[in-house]
Amino acid sequence: MIYYITSIALILIGMYAVLVKKNLIKMIIGLSLVDGGLHLLFIAIGYVDNKTAPIFSKESLTAADMVDPIPQALVLTAIVIGLAVTAVALAIIIRLYDHHKTLNVNKIRELKW
Amino acid sequence: MELNFSPVHFIAVPLFAAFLLPLLGRVSQKLVTLVPGVVLLYLSVVAITLFPQAYDTPIVEIIAGWRPPFGITLVFGPLAAFLVTMITLIGFVVWLYSYRFIIREPLEKYYMLFMLLIAGSTGIILTGDIFNLFVFLEITAIAAYSLTAFLRDHNGAEAAFKYLLIGSFASAFVLLAIVILYANVGTLNMADIALRMGDVPDKIKLTIMILFIVGLGIEAELFPLNGWAPDAYSQAPSPIGAVFAGIVVKAAVYALMRVLFTLFDLPTSSHFLVVMGTITLLVAEMSAMRQQQIKRMLAFSSIGQMGLVLVAFGLGTKEGIAAALFLMFSHAVIKTMLFFSAGYLVFFSGHKNISDLEGMGREKPWTGFFFSLGALAIIGLPPFSGFWAKFYLLVSAANASHIFLIALILFSAIIEAVYYLRVVGRLYFKKFNDIEIRKTPFTGLLAMGILAIVTLVIGVYPDFIHELVLPAANELLDKAAYLQYAMIGQ
Amino acid sequence: MDQLLNIPAILAIAFAGSILVFITHSVFPKLRTAIILIFTILPAYLVWQLPADSGLVHFTLGGFDLSWGTNAYSRLFSLLIAGIGVLATIYSISFMKKRSRLGFFYLAFLTTISAMYGIVFSQDLLSLFFFWEIMTWASFLLVIYYSFEDQKAGIRYFVFSAIGAYSLLTAIVYLYSFTGDLSLAATFKVIPELDTTQITFITILFLLGFGVKSALMPVHVWAPDAYRSAPSPFTALFSGVLSKMGVFGMGLVLFKFMGGLEQGHIIREILAWLGGITALLATFYAIFQTDAKKLLAYSSIAQLGYITIGLAVGTPMSVMAAIFLALMHGIFKSMLFMGIGSVFLQTGSLDLNELTGLIRRMPLSFVTVLMGIITVAGVPPLGGFVGKWLLYESLITSEHYFLVAVTFISSTAAFLYLYRLIFSIFLGQEEKEFDHIKEVPWPMWVPMLILASLTMLTGLMPGLFFEPIAEAMKFLGFQQVNWEMSVLFNTWGNQIDLLAMSTSIFSVFLLGLAFITWKNYKTTRYVTTKDIHTSGEIPTENENLTYAVDFYRPFERAAAPVFKYKVTHFYESFAENAEHLFDLLRHVYTGNAQTYALYVVIFLVLLIVFSGWIFGIQI
Repeated sequence: MIYYITSIALILIGMYAVLVKKNLIKMIIGLSLVDGGLHLLFIAIGYVDNKTAPIFSKESLTAADMVDPIPQALVLTAIVIGLAVTAVALAIIIRLYDHHKTLNVNKIRELKW
Repeated sequence: MELNFSPVHFIAVPLFAAFLLPLLGRVSQKLVTLVPGVVLLYLSVVAITLFPQAYDTPIVEIIAGWRPPFGITLVFGPLAAFLVTMITLIGFVVWLYSYRFIIREPLEKYYMLFMLLIAGSTGIILTGDIFNLFVFLEITAIAAYSLTAFLRDHNGAEAAFKYLLIGSFASAFVLLAIVILYANVGTLNMADIALRMGDVPDKIKLTIMILFIVGLGIEAELFPLNGWAPDAYSQAPSPIGAVFAGIVVKAAVYALMRVLFTLFDLPTSSHFLVVMGTITLLVAEMSAMRQQQIKRMLAFSSIGQMGLVLVAFGLGTKEGIAAALFLMFSHAVIKTMLFFSAGYLVFFSGHKNISDLEGMGREKPWTGFFFSLGALAIIGLPPFSGFWAKFYLLVSAANASHIFLIALILFSAIIEAVYYLRVVGRLYFKKFNDIEIRKTPFTGLLAMGILAIVTLVIGVYPDFIHELVLPAANELLDKAAYLQYAMIGQ
Repeated sequence: MDQLLNIPAILAIAFAGSILVFITHSVFPKLRTAIILIFTILPAYLVWQLPADSGLVHFTLGGFDLSWGTNAYSRLFSLLIAGIGVLATIYSISFMKKRSRLGFFYLAFLTTISAMYGIVFSQDLLSLFFFWEIMTWASFLLVIYYSFEDQKAGIRYFVFSAIGAYSLLTAIVYLYSFTGDLSLAATFKVIPELDTTQITFITILFLLGFGVKSALMPVHVWAPDAYRSAPSPFTALFSGVLSKMGVFGMGLVLFKFMGGLEQGHIIREILAWLGGITALLATFYAIFQTDAKKLLAYSSIAQLGYITIGLAVGTPMSVMAAIFLALMHGIFKSMLFMGIGSVFLQTGSLDLNELTGLIRRMPLSFVTVLMGIITVAGVPPLGGFVGKWLLYESLITSEHYFLVAVTFISSTAAFLYLYRLIFSIFLGQEEKEFDHIKEVPWPMWVPMLILASLTMLTGLMPGLFFEPIAEAMKFLGFQQVNWEMSVLFNTWGNQIDLLAMSTSIFSVFLLGLAFITWKNYKTTRYVTTKDIHTSGEIPTENENLTYAVDFYRPFERAAAPVFKYKVTHFYESFAENAEHLFDLLRHVYTGNAQTYALYVVIFLVLLIVFSGWIFGIQI
């Protein structure tokens, strides 16, 4: 239960950062937080009390002793995706800073209407 | 020797080519520009070959031997066949245009990202697994963000940042929807989910649906989620603008419809789609009328047309969906041609504003001609394909007695006519002042020519496409049939 | 079967011609004229050969059943298109000789003609609309052809045409949703079975659609500028034939669709009144014009007003009058535009305040315009008289006395602008700057004179036209209409023998002319324009001092208060306000990335909060 609350809190904090903070870097950090929260939520959903990691580490382990492996696999993929997006975002921010000399999202508004 | 074509090629080949291109770049730049063309030509051939088969019995390709519902499947039914063929053909034409258009930037990066876009879009359409859908959505998105910022000006970076920010929200919501979905049905295979949706409580179902609508709606340019679109379309290089308008957004709309039709029941969202689609259409067309820059105007026009497509899907009847697919096809062809010609107009004149393009029609007669043709076609005038698309839509709307809707659609058509014809008039207005007499590349003209011929041929003989979209529409509507063949593993 | 293939052949040849000219234009300029002529005359010939009632060519396209064919009504209009089309094309070859972008010109020109053939041969609603739209954009391209100030005229034309066309489309899909059958025959059967509101709705939409092309008020505002801007050969076609497509449609709607329906009565009355107002106001606007083409444009609008009155009143005689006037207008308006076009070609000006005294320089054009004027005025012995006579007769017998008054006033007022037209351009003193003007080459005056002789012919023997018109009216559902070759009947049994009357008028006229000339021969002297009295002001060379300058200034001043409120202002302010609204709307796209993200989140929240209202299940 605690995991659900934490993950949702993370998501909300991340969204807050994106929606309210003016600094571009902070917005990207917010996005990462949202991603983190989502991943955590996903894993938490797959979690079964007192079961262990879905790896056949010992002969005697059966599927019944493991937590749900699917979320784990999916989250691995999602983490990579999040990484790629963050990397591209930061690259774009560098380009933006080069031209505008500011990281304030309100000042970067040449394309409008 | 029997050629063993399989739907996997649509994803695997461009993906492979994408990562091969930087290596080839070391060897020769020429190779880099040629390989994507070969790839797309090959994919077109595959698509056309598999076409009849897909219409007969859908091809379900199981990846890596894990049968559904555990493994990932690729479902190549009539709908997928139609859309994928459209994508490969448009992709080929875009390559033709890019061949001489993209000359300055490091070519490998451009073509690599282009291949990724193709792979991602076809992946979205082919996949039968919802998380796979998410992954391909992301692949497409990342390639798109990068390509938006491709031209090294600050406007491109700004547009890319907006796209990225909103797009990340899209992925977040889609992922959240998948998470909640998985928590309730325990499977990721779309057919399987459809089977088990009945057991999910209504409130949760609706939450998931709303999250999907918002998430996928961002990519599908629903209002008010489309703030990123005008910037991205206008700042990306023109061929990429064409790819966005003609391929990427179509894949996104497909994803949204697949979710709404197959995973959920249409009646819940049909009214919503019709209303939001109309609002999208009206706001976009009205905004387009006041644009100063030509590519931004085209961007808004695209958004408007997508609104129209959403309305058509929302009508929910077989004719309505067929009209939507016809519209998607027609729009892809015509909008691509418009972006191509606008790209040349902007490039050769050095100006982005419409008022500065005066007289370009006389300097560059063929480009001007193609733009004018595209303008007439997209308004929905006969004898071009756009006419039939709009007509089918209006007939479906009339059958559902939505007379007010018809009035609104035609009202927006009038607005469209005004701003497009204004540009056409300006092109032939005065003599163009600046001295710029470089010749238009032949490949570009060829690309536009192919598109013009297609739209004219379909306009005079729409049966080609009409016969193809009806079974495709059926596939979307007929949940039971889809489930039957997608679940062959069971 | 052979016969049935004629119609697709005609359309194929006509459209192929336009594309072919466009393609070969830059490559083989010499071939161009040949191609144009072949691909215009050949379809016209085939149209001439068509029987009055061929069967239907059925085929399926895009899932719809379409059919093409002719009937007496279509045939009449197709002959008009063929005739005027060929003549205008021949005229245009010479007129456009030195212009640029001819491939584009002829593409649009021939496409318009082909599309018009398509319209009259359509026997189903979809084909009708299909060709209607093609005709619209092809003519639009010609309106913006010269493109100096013409953009606005073109866009305005297109918007109004689109409004009309989309009204048609709405009515068509609405009907289709009821009948499931697009053919005209099915539509004729179904309409009486619908209820009153539906019929009214559909009829208004159809009439709006066709009315725009017929330049009916208040949707006429595009016409003056559009006619002005288009190249003269095309304006001849535009005003002469294209506007008749609207008449064609109105005839179909009023008589085949609405037939003998009781509900139609009010609509017909309103339509008749609109026609009357159009005729009256347009005539007055024509009087104020100083631009020859715009004057003729308003004149066209007025004539179309008469035609609408005739159609709307609906008695056999009035409909015959209307269709006769339609054909006559096709002939004499094209003729007039050709004549004025010739003047424009030679002098470079259409300004009535500038032109003067061209009668000796361009005698053939003078004759053309003279015949045109007499016809428009409705004076015997030319054809216009017959039409006007029938119209008056039918209005009186159907007791529309007020409309008689309106028609009479506008017909009489028409004399004012007609006289001005011919006087300003051809009569009056000669100016030095026009000394070098010559008459136009023969490809231009031959069509003009052919048309002029047609007006004379129909004035003497209107029966030539009456026969096909009567056949056409049978198609529309009227009983046998009485006619005879050279005689006009009225309901009280009197008749006019036109031949006798014309001969007598003509001889009186000639005698009078001879008498006056003989009387005043010795006392005439020639004056230059500078031989005038001035009150201390010395006129300079560039002032035009001919008698005809500012002809109707006092009249204009007197009538000005009435004409301050023009419908154009209404449309323009509407368009301006709309653009302001759109401007406000697009500020939604603020350009701030965070705002867009906020939109997304707010949208999500709204969807969840109002999910009950939107989707039916509340979260």
